[in-house]
Amino acid sequence: MRAIIVDDEPLAREELQEMLQSHPEIEVVAQFGNAIECLKHLKQLQAEVLFLDIEMPQISGLELANMIDSDNAPAIVFVTAYDQFALDAFEQNAVDYLLKPIDSERLCKSIKRLKERLPSIKQTEADAPANHSYQTMLKEQQLRLIPCYYQQRVKLIRLEDIEHASSDLSGVHVATENGSYHTQLTLKVLEDKSPLLRCHRQHLVNVEAISEISLEDNGGAVLFTKSGEQLPVSRRYFKAIKEHFGL
Amino acid sequence: MILSDFSLLLSLAQQMSVFLVIAYLLSKTPAFLPLTNLSPRLPNTLTIYCLFSGFCILGSYFGLAIDDAIANTRAVGAVLGGLFGGPVLGLLVGFTGGMHRYFMGGFTDVACAVSTTLEGLVGGLFHLWIRRRSLHNEHLFSPTIAFVATLIAETLQMLLILLIAKPFEQALALVEVIALPMVLANSVGAALFMMMIRDRRRLYDKFSSHSSAKALNLAQRMVGVFHQGFKQQDAVRIANIIHEETGVSAVAITDTQQVLAFKGMGSDHHHAGRPISSKQTYQAINENRVVFADGVEEPYQCSSSDKCPLGSSLVVPIRGSENDVIGTVKLYESKRRLFLHINRALGEGIAKVIAEQLRDSHVQQQQQLLTEAELKLARAQINPHFLFNALNTISAVVKRDASSARQLIADLALFLRINLKRNQQSSLVSVELEHVNAYLHIEQVRFADRLVIKQDIDESFMHLELPTFTLQPLVENAIKHGTAHLLETGKITIYSRLNNGVKQLVVEDNAGLYQKPEQATSEGLGMHIVDTRLRNAFGASFALQVECQLNQYTRVIISLPKEPNQ
Repeated sequence: MRAIIVDDEPLAREELQEMLQSHPEIEVVAQFGNAIECLKHLKQLQAEVLFLDIEMPQISGLELANMIDSDNAPAIVFVTAYDQFALDAFEQNAVDYLLKPIDSERLCKSIKRLKERLPSIKQTEADAPANHSYQTMLKEQQLRLIPCYYQQRVKLIRLEDIEHASSDLSGVHVATENGSYHTQLTLKVLEDKSPLLRCHRQHLVNVEAISEISLEDNGGAVLFTKSGEQLPVSRRYFKAIKEHFGL
Repeated sequence: MILSDFSLLLSLAQQMSVFLVIAYLLSKTPAFLPLTNLSPRLPNTLTIYCLFSGFCILGSYFGLAIDDAIANTRAVGAVLGGLFGGPVLGLLVGFTGGMHRYFMGGFTDVACAVSTTLEGLVGGLFHLWIRRRSLHNEHLFSPTIAFVATLIAETLQMLLILLIAKPFEQALALVEVIALPMVLANSVGAALFMMMIRDRRRLYDKFSSHSSAKALNLAQRMVGVFHQGFKQQDAVRIANIIHEETGVSAVAITDTQQVLAFKGMGSDHHHAGRPISSKQTYQAINENRVVFADGVEEPYQCSSSDKCPLGSSLVVPIRGSENDVIGTVKLYESKRRLFLHINRALGEGIAKVIAEQLRDSHVQQQQQLLTEAELKLARAQINPHFLFNALNTISAVVKRDASSARQLIADLALFLRINLKRNQQSSLVSVELEHVNAYLHIEQVRFADRLVIKQDIDESFMHLELPTFTLQPLVENAIKHGTAHLLETGKITIYSRLNNGVKQLVVEDNAGLYQKPEQATSEGLGMHIVDTRLRNAFGASFALQVECQLNQYTRVIISLPKEPNQ
């Protein structure tokens, strides 16, 4: 199993990696000091397991879990010092949590559990009753910040600043009044976990940022955002937008 | 003629003396009170009317019959009635006196009836004139004005007798005889009468201002004595103050069991610390009421010595927060002295002031307990999170670097020891720093190069005092709510500085994420407690200051008071 460790404490990462070395079935392919770095490389690393700390700068472990597209999500094991919330949230959950300092026997159990369940998570994604509470929790949780990459820097965009999100060949972009940024999140994640509304197969729009709706002959429409950009509206999604404005 | 004038004057003066004696005796009774405060209410007016009408009538009765007429001192009553009561009342008094005179007959009956009524009016006009001219009532009590008013009124009377009484020759002869003595005797009498009232009034004023000054002084001196509850040494201080201020023979303060303090006469056999023995004190405690043994009908009986010089006592219960008796204040007078009424009132007031103070101190203590409880809560809240992370760090280090692990354990032990075992209110900056450093070493190892710590504190700060547990929560906040949220390296700087001559300790981070908490939530709790304790220790001007530049820095500033010996 390909694994990634995300923790903001270097010693904690090393400690866990060392403990995992005695489990040959786990291969640690990368370590990250924060959630944003992890998200950036997650796709290409194709990890199957994430060992996630919860308390991390800017974007917490829980939020990172929330940002991952559930279609091919890795299994997540939370590793936390003391967090009542984590205990509550995952009490009846198949995905494991570990308490720091990690007990090696407890880690063994956790890995055994991962081995048993990993294939089943992927197979029965649609109707996995064991994961039900975890999945609904993740679905209900809203995103707060969207990590974006701009040249060599990371920008955290607040949801309310976004005018629209669009995908093209180069990936997903979120557009704000001050420019457009690239993000690793998929349009589907953004649609599910934010108030952004889908207006086209390739576009989500923040309804707060719509300044004008121009109707087209073919039953579709064109949206104008506050910064003057145009977004196409397909017939399929127009209904939802009309409903939103009570048209 | 001159001789008879003089003898008439003498006998009028005699009459006046009887008047004055009656007036003096009256001045000892409550009936006199309306004259000293001049309230316009009906009972007052009625008293004035009856009093001065009475004087008018008496004046007529005491008068000397001369040639079918009466030389008299009636005018005093009418003029003074007008002076005190105003024109309407003056007219009424004069009319009453006049009617009475009319029915006594004689050839001047009509003239006297009319003139007496007018004399009342003259007094009333003077009243009006003084009221209009100045707001100060004091002038109403001026003997000079009473003299002048009566002089005018009597002169008027003489003229009226000449005008109205028939036959004119007889009237003229009468007036020649009585005019001078009557005018003189009445005017002087009115002036003397007024002088007496004025003196009486001043005495009241002086007495009441003296006793209020006494009461205020007492209250002022007692403020803050009982701020730590009902303690014996405070009771002794209070007893001394009461003894000095009231001048009673002796003062005792008891709780419900024993005498806490005794001061004054008889202190040779009344000792603090003895159980309560007097019947009156038991009564006061058990029945929750003031018990007074006046020394005449009910004597105070000292239970420990037959030769006790104390003869009367007042026992006032001190009531606690639920109106229950928690002790008593006792005032004694010796057998040779009378218990002053004012001291009785003061005794009850004293018990109220003490009860009030105890209530205040109770509230304060509760507040302090609350702060202590919050402090404990804050310590307990901080610990687990930090503790588990620290243990995790140690467990990571232990294989790699045993001596570093040992150092971490020592730091953790030191941190916990200081954290758990702090009972004293204040500690030195150096001790606070020790606590902070133990904490910071662990955090430094945890976060490695994600955290840079700098410390620059002047040596002269080390021996200054701070409330315990002041610095560490601020440093912990700077990491937990500051640098821990940074993707780049966090910097914590702890330094000392002089700001306008004020010594300050500053905890600065480079995150600049401080937000003023809306209320005392768990996040704001640490800061809130530190702030409260600083205010309690040093005063409101030493509250915690926060300077924050968003995404640049947050500075939390502790100001330290100047040392008292410098």
